[in-house]
Amino acid sequence: MRRMRSAPLLVFVLLSILGWQQPARAAAPASDLVKAELLAEPGAITRGQTFWVGVRLRMKEHWHTYWRNPGDSGEATSITWELPQGFSAGPIQWPTPTRIPVGPLANYGYDGETTLLSQITAPADLAPSSEVAINAHVTWLVCEKECIPGEAKLSLTLPAAAAASAAGSNDGPGAAFEAARSRLPQMSPWPARMDVTPDTLTLQAAAKGLQRDAIRSAQFFPFSETLIRHADPQTLAVTADGLSLELPRSALTIGTPNDARGVLVIDEAIGASTVRHAFALGDVAIVIAAPIGSLGTILQAALLALLGGLILNLMPCVFPVLSIKVLSLINHAGQSARQLRLHGLIYTAGVLVTFVGLAGVLLALRAGGAEIGWGFQLQSPIAVAVLAYVLFSMGLSLSGVFHFGYSLQAVGGNLAHRTGLSGAFFAGALAVVVATPCTAPFMGTALGFAMTQPAAVSLVVFLALGLGLALPFLLLTLAPQLVGRLPRPGAWMETVKQALAFPIYATVAWLMWVLAQQVGASQLFAAMIGLVLVALAAWSFSIWQTSGTWGGRAAAAVAVACMITTAVAVAGLQRDQIEASPAAQTTAAAGIEPFSQRRLDELRAENRPVFVNMTAAWCITCLVNERVALSTDAVKSAFAAGNIAYLKGDWTNRNPEITRILERHGRSGVPLYLLYAGGDEPVILPQILTAATVLQEIDRIRDRNSQRRADLPTSAKE
Amino acid sequence: MMIPRRTLLGVALLGGAAALSVGLVCTPSTANPGAQARIGGAAPAFTVVDTNGKQVSLADFKGKTVVLEWTNHDCPYVRKHYNGQAMQGLQKKWTDKGVVWLSVISSARGEQGFVTPEQANKLTTDRGAHPTAVVFDTKGDVGRSYGATVTPHMYIIKADGTLAYMGGIDDKATTRLDDLKTAKNFVDTALDEIAQGKPVSTTTSRPYGCTVKYQS
Repeated sequence: MRRMRSAPLLVFVLLSILGWQQPARAAAPASDLVKAELLAEPGAITRGQTFWVGVRLRMKEHWHTYWRNPGDSGEATSITWELPQGFSAGPIQWPTPTRIPVGPLANYGYDGETTLLSQITAPADLAPSSEVAINAHVTWLVCEKECIPGEAKLSLTLPAAAAASAAGSNDGPGAAFEAARSRLPQMSPWPARMDVTPDTLTLQAAAKGLQRDAIRSAQFFPFSETLIRHADPQTLAVTADGLSLELPRSALTIGTPNDARGVLVIDEAIGASTVRHAFALGDVAIVIAAPIGSLGTILQAALLALLGGLILNLMPCVFPVLSIKVLSLINHAGQSARQLRLHGLIYTAGVLVTFVGLAGVLLALRAGGAEIGWGFQLQSPIAVAVLAYVLFSMGLSLSGVFHFGYSLQAVGGNLAHRTGLSGAFFAGALAVVVATPCTAPFMGTALGFAMTQPAAVSLVVFLALGLGLALPFLLLTLAPQLVGRLPRPGAWMETVKQALAFPIYATVAWLMWVLAQQVGASQLFAAMIGLVLVALAAWSFSIWQTSGTWGGRAAAAVAVACMITTAVAVAGLQRDQIEASPAAQTTAAAGIEPFSQRRLDELRAENRPVFVNMTAAWCITCLVNERVALSTDAVKSAFAAGNIAYLKGDWTNRNPEITRILERHGRSGVPLYLLYAGGDEPVILPQILTAATVLQEIDRIRDRNSQRRADLPTSAKE
Repeated sequence: MMIPRRTLLGVALLGGAAALSVGLVCTPSTANPGAQARIGGAAPAFTVVDTNGKQVSLADFKGKTVVLEWTNHDCPYVRKHYNGQAMQGLQKKWTDKGVVWLSVISSARGEQGFVTPEQANKLTTDRGAHPTAVVFDTKGDVGRSYGATVTPHMYIIKADGTLAYMGGIDDKATTRLDDLKTAKNFVDTALDEIAQGKPVSTTTSRPYGCTVKYQS
């Protein structure tokens, strides 16, 4: 019995070994390993229009044909079209392949059955009611363990018409095309890049905010045959930045690969089940990752940073701070050399510690996935406002409105005294803080390099920058003879000090301009009132310093009140910034309303049908459903025609109202699609949507409603 | 107090040893195809037996250019190159010039392409092939160390023992005989360049063909 059954197969194998290949047709003998059929989507061909055709390959059990990149061995199926004059065929649109392990190797292909779709465009001058003959010469390699090449000449004759006839898409070949298209990968919703080093490849998809435990697995199928070792595991990491896949690099591509395109397949957990998504990555930026710098390049970067730090001293925000320090040195030229040195060292320590602190925060944020660089502090409106207030009070102090207790003139006090030393440290920290909005020449290059390096190397560069900033003052304190060469103290110093206030005011003006880019007009006004309050507080402070009892106390109270009011105004800035989430923005644009239980109740009280879409920015399935079904023109116009209200609930951040709806329908997460159409309970749509499913449900409620209207002719008249 | 601590230490040591030995046992099977053989690196050494029972080592050919051809006579891609007389032509051309050509059979016993020494010699005679020797790698160790994935998968080792080429035999990954006429043969080009003392222009290409039928 067994023998009998395998006999035809043996014959086929022998025949093909002899180089004789029988062309397979739609009605080929059952013994064939591959049954090939040519299908066209129902509907007549019309001039200038594009229509779908498909080559369906049905393989014998356990046999497979190959994807465009067959993997370690094998060969992609190819189709050569023979079309009437003027017709043109597009490339094969490959369905998402599966990975087929073969011993220590792996192939990419299709087991069982696959339909290779192509699009054909009819010429603009096509005569109606003519017949169109389409011929496809298909060649393939089919393998189980052993491989047999095969081919088929397939043909199909289709009618041409003046206008397109309606396609019946719910059954027959129409449904086959619907199904075949659902197996094509989607365009990726995220930008992707490939980080390349001589030994590694890392694919990065900027899918921000994905939930780590929701991604069961991911796999990349490259178009290039020689990019990766196909059989080796790919290592997945999900970070706040997105998804990263470490790929085993193949020795067959030497140097920088030139094609990193492919298909990314992700298994996402939705409730208890797993949904597979395939995304076409058609545009993958190839990024040559900087290898860890050699000692030479690190030294070079450190030197550049040192230079940058030195120049930073001349920037309008830092220069006054340094100048005041120097002025106070002149004033107290008589200090002992040891005290001076100690002072300079502590100032330097203040600078370095603050720089390391800033670098630490920066590196930690970057490790967490934030794409930030130097000056990241200025991305926060609060930081900008606070910096403006600090600088403004410094300016006021220089203008003589009030005297900063110890900080700026600390050098003037007894250097051995505690406050003098902590003052020096504070002055160093202040120099760094006021320096942060500025970028000096050379700094950009050095810090750009530091950002691509491991933390230790980054820290070296930052320390060099700090040392550069501290160096002029440090040198002065280390060499007291230099101090001696400075001009003699006198009344000119007060004038210089007051003049130095103006670069600081200019910096404040610039920071206000920065703030104007980040917040609205009313917020900006609040921030500027903050400046007035800072000035008022400074003035009250000076009164408190100079006058006694009642007046002084009142002034102190005013100063404190001003500071509290300013703090409240500044805290308000942030809230304004984060209010608009991306989901809310798209909603407003597309005529979709944000979900709330109240709005849902209102609409239902009006007897309007309502479609509810519960989604989240991190839910891939939700994203895909919106692309392939909900935002298609067909569904949008069906919503409009049926007067269906569309409510969209954004569960990106937990929202108890949405959580309650989810729970009521037995769900612990998104997506959830509900269609309310009269009655009490909504129809729950599947978690994987197609345009067809949504349209079908809409049709159903329309039928039901017109039925109801027919039943109640009187109420319809009212 | 002493005894439990010592016991703990012993358990830890044993556990470590166990983990280490598991690691050692597992290492060969996790070896990555393609990971070891690199262009410009030393070609992995091997000693195999040829169809006449003679031991053949890569080290024997120091000072000569060596070609390795992975083969499986029933593979449609291999058949294309032998039916079109292309492979035999290439073997003759280069062995006449002193190049060593080894046809390697990595098919495991019972798999496609596995042959006895007698069958192998008969195939050589019948097809008019001209390799220096046909060698057996039935366990697949040589194939795996080179990362050979398909038949025909081609490697060229220079006189100094470094790998100069690995990949497909040409740029037409099909089973059609006609394609031999228009294909660009990478092996022939590389051997020409080596003979002229030039650097090899194409050092890698996509290997195409049937999967090597390794022992699983």
